[in-house]
Amino acid sequence: MAIDGLIILDANGRPIIQSGYTSFPPAYPLLHIDALNNELAKAPSSGIIDPIIYVASGGGGDMPDGSACCHIQVREMRMLASISGDLDPLVAFAFLQAFHDILQDYFGTVSTVTLKGNFDTVYQLIEEILDSSGHPLTTSPSILRDIVIPPSLLSTLLASLPASAPSVGRSGGPTSLNNTGGAFASPIPWRKVGVRHNSNEILFDVTEEMRAIVGRNGATLASNVIGTIECNSRLSGMPDLLASFSNPNVMAECAFHPCVRLQRWKREQTLSFIPPDGKFVLGEYQYAPPQKVVVNNLPIPVALKPNIIIGELGGSFTVTFTSRMMKAMENVKIEWYLGEDATGAQCTLSGAGSGVGSTGGAEGSWTFDSRKKILRWEIPSMHSSGSRVLRGSWTSKAQVPRPAHAFQIRFELPSYSFSSLKIDHVRLSSETYKMYKGVRMQSCGSIEWRW
Amino acid sequence: MSSQHGQDAKFFQRGKIEEFRAELQAAESKDKKYQKRKTVLKKIVANITMGNDMSPLFHDVIQCIGTPLLEIKKMVYLYLVSYGRSKPDQIHMVIPSFLQDCNDRNPLIRALAIRTMAYIPIPVVTEALSDQLRHCLKDRDPYVRKTAAICVAKLYVADPRKAEKAGFVEMLRDMLLDSNATVVANAVAALSEIGDRQDGVIFRLNLTVANKLIASLGESSEWGQIYILDSLLRFVPEEHSEAEMMGERIIVQLQHANSAVVLTAIKVLLYLMNYMENRRLIEYICKKMGPPLVALLSSGPEVQYVTLRNILLIIQRRPAVLKNDVKVFFCKYNDPIYVKLAKLEIMYRLAREENAQEVLAELEEYASEVDIDFVRKSVRSIGRLAIKVEAAADNCIQSLLTLIETKVTYVVQEAVIVIKDIFRRYPGKYEGIIPTLCENLDVLDEPESKAAMIWILGQFANRIDNADELLDDLVYSFLDEPTEVQLALLTATVKLFIYKSTSDATKALVHKVLKWATENVDNPDLRDRGFMYWRMLAVNPTLAQELVLAQKPAITTDSDRMDRGALDQLLLHTGTLGSIYHKNPETFIRNAAGRALVDTPALNPSSRAVILPLSRPHLPPTTVTVQGPGPIEPTYVPPAEPSKLVASATSEASGQDLLDVDNAIARPGSYDGEIDVDGEDEVPVKTGDPYANLDGAFGGYLADKPQPMSSSRGGNTNFDDLLL
Repeated sequence: MAIDGLIILDANGRPIIQSGYTSFPPAYPLLHIDALNNELAKAPSSGIIDPIIYVASGGGGDMPDGSACCHIQVREMRMLASISGDLDPLVAFAFLQAFHDILQDYFGTVSTVTLKGNFDTVYQLIEEILDSSGHPLTTSPSILRDIVIPPSLLSTLLASLPASAPSVGRSGGPTSLNNTGGAFASPIPWRKVGVRHNSNEILFDVTEEMRAIVGRNGATLASNVIGTIECNSRLSGMPDLLASFSNPNVMAECAFHPCVRLQRWKREQTLSFIPPDGKFVLGEYQYAPPQKVVVNNLPIPVALKPNIIIGELGGSFTVTFTSRMMKAMENVKIEWYLGEDATGAQCTLSGAGSGVGSTGGAEGSWTFDSRKKILRWEIPSMHSSGSRVLRGSWTSKAQVPRPAHAFQIRFELPSYSFSSLKIDHVRLSSETYKMYKGVRMQSCGSIEWRW
Repeated sequence: MSSQHGQDAKFFQRGKIEEFRAELQAAESKDKKYQKRKTVLKKIVANITMGNDMSPLFHDVIQCIGTPLLEIKKMVYLYLVSYGRSKPDQIHMVIPSFLQDCNDRNPLIRALAIRTMAYIPIPVVTEALSDQLRHCLKDRDPYVRKTAAICVAKLYVADPRKAEKAGFVEMLRDMLLDSNATVVANAVAALSEIGDRQDGVIFRLNLTVANKLIASLGESSEWGQIYILDSLLRFVPEEHSEAEMMGERIIVQLQHANSAVVLTAIKVLLYLMNYMENRRLIEYICKKMGPPLVALLSSGPEVQYVTLRNILLIIQRRPAVLKNDVKVFFCKYNDPIYVKLAKLEIMYRLAREENAQEVLAELEEYASEVDIDFVRKSVRSIGRLAIKVEAAADNCIQSLLTLIETKVTYVVQEAVIVIKDIFRRYPGKYEGIIPTLCENLDVLDEPESKAAMIWILGQFANRIDNADELLDDLVYSFLDEPTEVQLALLTATVKLFIYKSTSDATKALVHKVLKWATENVDNPDLRDRGFMYWRMLAVNPTLAQELVLAQKPAITTDSDRMDRGALDQLLLHTGTLGSIYHKNPETFIRNAAGRALVDTPALNPSSRAVILPLSRPHLPPTTVTVQGPGPIEPTYVPPAEPSKLVASATSEASGQDLLDVDNAIARPGSYDGEIDVDGEDEVPVKTGDPYANLDGAFGGYLADKPQPMSSSRGGNTNFDDLLL
């Protein structure tokens, strides 16, 4: 049960950062890098390869003879975790994600430049989050910040002071050798003791995403709504919170942050927790509609009417997009893959003459991505129920063009919630100060529409 | 900020050892605020990470260890981690500093010191560490305790028996009751690591400790929860009620945000279900497991992939899970190909009479997609669906015929391959479509589809009027064909001859092919088969007819389900590499400890019926002295130890032992052939190629080709039987 090591590769497949691999021969990480690069070289243009690559080695010595390389893509880079023995690859992926989040927290953007520029910090971080026998340790950013100082102007100043000087600014600052850093004195691993904020506030950000597949006859084949509750907590001390919902029944299949007392949720359907400091995901749920019948068959708030004629060396199309929402819809993006052989497209936009709803706002715009062969249609905002039409044609090198039989539709619905979930109240016990709390709802959709 | 980046990036340029040495020496005097030293050390560390050998600076770098600046100390320790083990003759110089840091007031430094020492497996360091570790395991600061717990596992690797004798294993066990959840989790992690070693102490939990661990889950971090949940597999229920109670307590963990925690919880539940009796509880757990698995599918593609591979295993053992959720696995156009293929496989598994129509409609959709590999597998799945669900066969055939009309080469070829199997599954039902197939003969250019078509031509030569002409055309290129096609041609012409033995043309044809097969071809299989047919036809044509046209056993896809006992064992590895490759890890990872169900009165009878022994070589329970290579400590007195350890271990437990010491000192690799560990086992302990039996494990999609129907033990189609 262990992660052998971590490597970050740049866009050219060369390692920039590599963790210890102290228990392994030097050839071992190289084998993994080669394995990944080989797969990438063999991959089709899409660059999609299996996320777990088996790495066989000749065995011998300390070399594990059956290991696997789990990797994720971060911008132009690849982060890979080597695992051998009987480890859950999900641990590796969850860990890579956590590692990425930490780097983001420390450096803002995670890129080749920031990593190279701060390699000493990255190494200190790796030391703290992954022990040499491969056990993930602390991955909570707020606690790590006490052990490894983020590179900032302040820390540069602090570092230039001699160790004997009293530490300035940060309480429990690690620069001082005489400090008994309280990082792990806390009884709970996700929150340190002694957090202080001048103004105490907690913000809840609820985002619901509808995912659906609509068949060619317009019938919904599969659909569900997944909600995520993100929190930004800036509360002092050890705040014990109790959040209750006016309609908890709309939340099904919940998954929570470790801080949530699960038994309590099971019993009372209230969220009782001591939050970590800063941003975190409190929980996720699936929207369970009140009538059991419509499970997996929620009404889709948009409609698409494609009319496509495929000819030789191209084709023509008329696509009508309709919003069925009474609310404003924003950032509508419709994508259509025209096939590997597509060479170009020409379109006109119109506001559909149905008369219902306004044609106000931009008509939208279209582009053809000649590298990815994707036709993109974007409508920045649509007011109430209205329609837009995209007419045009495309050309292709192939005698019989093979465009994708599905459109990908994305849209955003600000201050809307599919489930109408409502946070009733949030109570604070164990601390005496007054806190400010805020809740924001928003929704979005990602629909595959086949024709 | 940006200027600092540029500056730091320069450290990546190659530096020279001498230069650094000079700079370090210069820094010894007049180093205001240690800034100079810090800069040089940064350069050195940068060089280490680039793979440049910085070991000649050992002496110079360790001079900085006493610098009262944590950042510098950390870099020196980083250096020691890299080069400490390669300097056994100089390492003693650092030890006083180590000892000093072990007693520093700052817990971070105390932890850093023991952690670094644990990375350097040199006797003199290990010796020093052993003394310090005893204090650190009882340190008042939890950060030090949790670090110390992991260090014990390291120490154990360096010298198992010494670590045992020093009592560290018992100290770890006591840490399971620590007040700090992180410490508990790390103690569990360390004990698990020790327990997973083939030469290690066996780590087993009793009911009391297991319950305490479950109680501590609520306060653990996600990683801690994973370790603790995983360790619960080391608890062997003696009574049904134990397993049932524990299962009920773990169900709630399915509501965790971390995907790895969820999958580990599922693994534990699947394990405990083997020991449960209450059918309603089992059904309830099955029902509860589905939704969290589905929820994982809304994560990134990597997590989806791992989840899908595991679902595939789980639904074979517990078909009740996700029984009605086939829609969840419908592929989206934008899914990465590896996700699509995994979903396709699950859709086929979940297909039943009730949902066959939905599944078929989806498969038809996929068959019109762009990715060739995916299209082929979709077409193949339509055929497998026809074979699996009889009620859907008509529609599947219709769908395949429509696909053949598209004339897309790879679609037609794939369709022909599966139709051949459908003919075998439903003899006498669909032969009417043969003429349609014959029209597409020219499109077939791949060996597998060509061979399939030739098989159809030969098998049904009596129904195809121009079979002799078609075969005659095909035989034209006989000598250039791959073996697969040659074999098919040989058999098909023989069948044709038996059907139409009166025709001179067929006689000439079969003669030609037999002559080629026996005289012009080098492949021994082909030659042998040629001779066999030839002799058979010459000696006894009637018998030849009976043999060649004998009734074939009907085929099914149900026997493709994995053997039940093997499944039980694989499921103990849910969420691990083994479950991705669908192989037990010990078969492809040397030194991996296998897992097997332990037979106790609580094990339910159906699980017991198929129980498989652990295929890892069982080390003998009593001590065996092996005169092998490898040093054996002369002072070693094994027999006294187990009883002592067990006795001390039972002090707090209710009669069951928490720790068992498996005292076999034999290690894999040190057998010199004198003991036959487990003669009948095929596990490649010593064979040269440990992956020999991996065959299609990686990306092997068609691990379940249709196979002849047999009375196999795995081919149990009654879902109800699988409940227990």
